[in-house]
Amino acid sequence: MLNEIYIKIKSCLDNISLIRVVVASFLSGTNITLDELQDIKTAVSEAVTNCIEHGYENDESKYIEVEMKLAEVDQMIYYWVKVVDKGIGIEDIELATTPTYTNKPELEHAGMGFTIMETFMDEVQIDSAVGEGTTVTMTKKLKTIKS
Amino acid sequence: MTYTYDDNRSKLSIVLDEEIDVNSCKTLRTIIDGYIMRYSPKVCELDLEKVSFMDSSGIGFVLGRKNLADMLNCKFNVVNANSNVKKLMQLYDKARRGA
Repeated sequence: MLNEIYIKIKSCLDNISLIRVVVASFLSGTNITLDELQDIKTAVSEAVTNCIEHGYENDESKYIEVEMKLAEVDQMIYYWVKVVDKGIGIEDIELATTPTYTNKPELEHAGMGFTIMETFMDEVQIDSAVGEGTTVTMTKKLKTIKS
Repeated sequence: MTYTYDDNRSKLSIVLDEEIDVNSCKTLRTIIDGYIMRYSPKVCELDLEKVSFMDSSGIGFVLGRKNLADMLNCKFNVVNANSNVKKLMQLYDKARRGA
């Protein structure tokens, strides 16, 4: 394991930009390309936004756990991230991950959060139980070879 | 964010220079809608050149402003989107066509 980090953040909107800064800092020691970094920041931003807006329905008394790891396999660097909330959970994951589907159209949501995660990351796993919360785990193989 | 209004051309130009996520959208939406309704321009231009980050909330934000402009018979243009923003918008277009 090259590096790993675990943080627990308050479920508030200000922390979405904070987590992007954390992602950028965490990956700063790699030779990651700007495009790869942007993709990862966007995917993690989407996952944390979902926790706040959907999982916790903007209840700022709740917390989100974010765990990130960097691992080297055959001289390739892999980024792994897990975003966990203990909110209301997702009743129908297939529906929630349907491109352009949103249960909050009045808030101008594009319904693209999961689609972006699935497009920008190599692997996305969603585990959720109603009333218990949601865990999103994502992996991306970085194009760079370890410097 | 900065804006200019050209009365002669009835053109509202808005330059965004912040990261666009669900948090910043809340404020930007209120301000920009206020400008659009205040000036009722014939053309509204949204310049995204200085936007360093945008996620799916930004897609909804841009579409929402376009819908408002359409309702007011205002031509709405997005200009200078960087490659990351373009990638998101293209992904949305593709998803919508496939939906």
